[in-house]
Amino acid sequence: MATLHEQEKQPAQQIAAYAQRKRLSLTTLARWQAWQAADQAALFSLLQDLQCSENHLKDLLDWLEEIAVRDGEAIADILEQRALRRARTTPGSRNDKLKAVKAVLRKRRYPRLTRLEENIRQAVKALDLGRPVQVSFPPDLEGDEVTVTLTARNVHELQDRLSQLQQRLKDGRWQRVFDALDEV
Amino acid sequence: MLTYQPTEILIERGEEDAPVVQRALAKLPETPVRIVEKDWEQKEVRPEGKDPFGVGKRRMFFTRQRAQFLEHCPAGTPGLVCCNYLVVSLISNCPLDCSYCFLQDYLANNPTLTVFTNSDDLLGEVAKVVDRQPWRQFRIGTGELSDSLALDALLGFSADLVPFFAARKNVLLELKTKSDCIDNLLTLTSHGRVVVSWTLTPPAIADTEEHGTASFAERLRAARRVQQAGYKVGFHFDPLIEYPRWETDYQQAMAQVFSAIDPRGVAWVSFGSLRITPTLRKAMRHRFPRTRLLSGEQVVCKDGKWRTFQALRVKMYRTLTAQLNTLAPQVPVYMCMETAPVWQKVFGRAPGCDKDVARSLTLPNLGHGAANQ
Repeated sequence: MATLHEQEKQPAQQIAAYAQRKRLSLTTLARWQAWQAADQAALFSLLQDLQCSENHLKDLLDWLEEIAVRDGEAIADILEQRALRRARTTPGSRNDKLKAVKAVLRKRRYPRLTRLEENIRQAVKALDLGRPVQVSFPPDLEGDEVTVTLTARNVHELQDRLSQLQQRLKDGRWQRVFDALDEV
Repeated sequence: MLTYQPTEILIERGEEDAPVVQRALAKLPETPVRIVEKDWEQKEVRPEGKDPFGVGKRRMFFTRQRAQFLEHCPAGTPGLVCCNYLVVSLISNCPLDCSYCFLQDYLANNPTLTVFTNSDDLLGEVAKVVDRQPWRQFRIGTGELSDSLALDALLGFSADLVPFFAARKNVLLELKTKSDCIDNLLTLTSHGRVVVSWTLTPPAIADTEEHGTASFAERLRAARRVQQAGYKVGFHFDPLIEYPRWETDYQQAMAQVFSAIDPRGVAWVSFGSLRITPTLRKAMRHRFPRTRLLSGEQVVCKDGKWRTFQALRVKMYRTLTAQLNTLAPQVPVYMCMETAPVWQKVFGRAPGCDKDVARSLTLPNLGHGAANQ
């Protein structure tokens, strides 16, 4: 990872070279270059750790700008937060690091939505249905439909799964899943 | 409120003597005037610089509307509950400059603020539709492509519209505004068939995001005056904007409305979440880089627009609906551009069809005389 000092020496050239290598659109590059020099450099440093397509980069630009405006914080400072530094050192591939970094930033950008998603995840976990029953929700919880997918290899297994679901209806655990959808 | 001052007036050849042109020229004697041909826009160099849309707002162009005036409100999108609202536009583009305004996307390539000179054609078109169906009730608004009243001191369209609608028993005209330009209205009689409505956001948003508009307090004072003059009034908490103090600020705003306004003269209140197309998002970033409105917890919905995520906006709707039910339980309320499941969660019922919503808004205001829609 380049040191901050090195980055500040020639950030503009480094960013331009990165943009050329990654074939970034002029719009994306111009947006990045419109930032304060320290913010530009901090994002450049982060990108050295990640395998990042332009679409992912656009997400990062969006989220960082929006967090900065909302919280009145410099982008360089946002990128210095401990959770993010930890995510950058996640063991595994660059893609794993990207996922971890995006998860941390998304949590900061969407605090209530991610908390709601976590509560729903907990409510689903409490159903204790195992792998053969999958419960899924619309993207970003936009909509009401909860999809339940059952997998069974025979009538006996199907009967088991249905009894399990019935039991969870009776003991109120399903109700808690649906209630959780509205709790913010 | 900011006074509108165009940098240039453009008049299509042949329209110089139109009454609205004469009224505007009398009020703006210092503004440079150019007579242009019908197709001048194709020959003209578009405004350049960082903000061509903003520059375009200050070029006032008088021309004839050659297409149909009367249209269905574009909010009638499949999958969303519709209220059967009709719109007519005598002005296209708005002198006000709200950071969230959809016109930045919809009229992005429009180099002017266009004023249509043939208001008599508009009235003829409306008469054809509403007079031929006296058993139907209609709601027609002029606030789709511009503020209904912000330019009224200059253009005086209210003097054409109000008497026409006041004379018809089966139609309500809605003049939707963020201005306090109501002086012309006070000289006219509406017979209760004109609703003057204000789009309201709390002062914290109005002062920072609704550029050139009247302040919250000025809007409320204007609403009180038109109500006292016999007009029905309406309030649109649309866009409903989520930000850290939304709950306190919106509740205060609603409380202020109903301490200033007699709820018996309120035709309707509406709620609608802030919605932003991807193109509008880009335009907002470009024109208002410091806006805080893009920092809410918005997600992409099925219609492709960004809105506050469902659980949170349902909470916002429920909070305000509960307060409205306490302060003014008799006032009809509806939501704009929302799905039936969201209606179900907020109101405990979803309308059976579009006509149900329309009827719930027209019946209390027009009575049963022409109710068989």
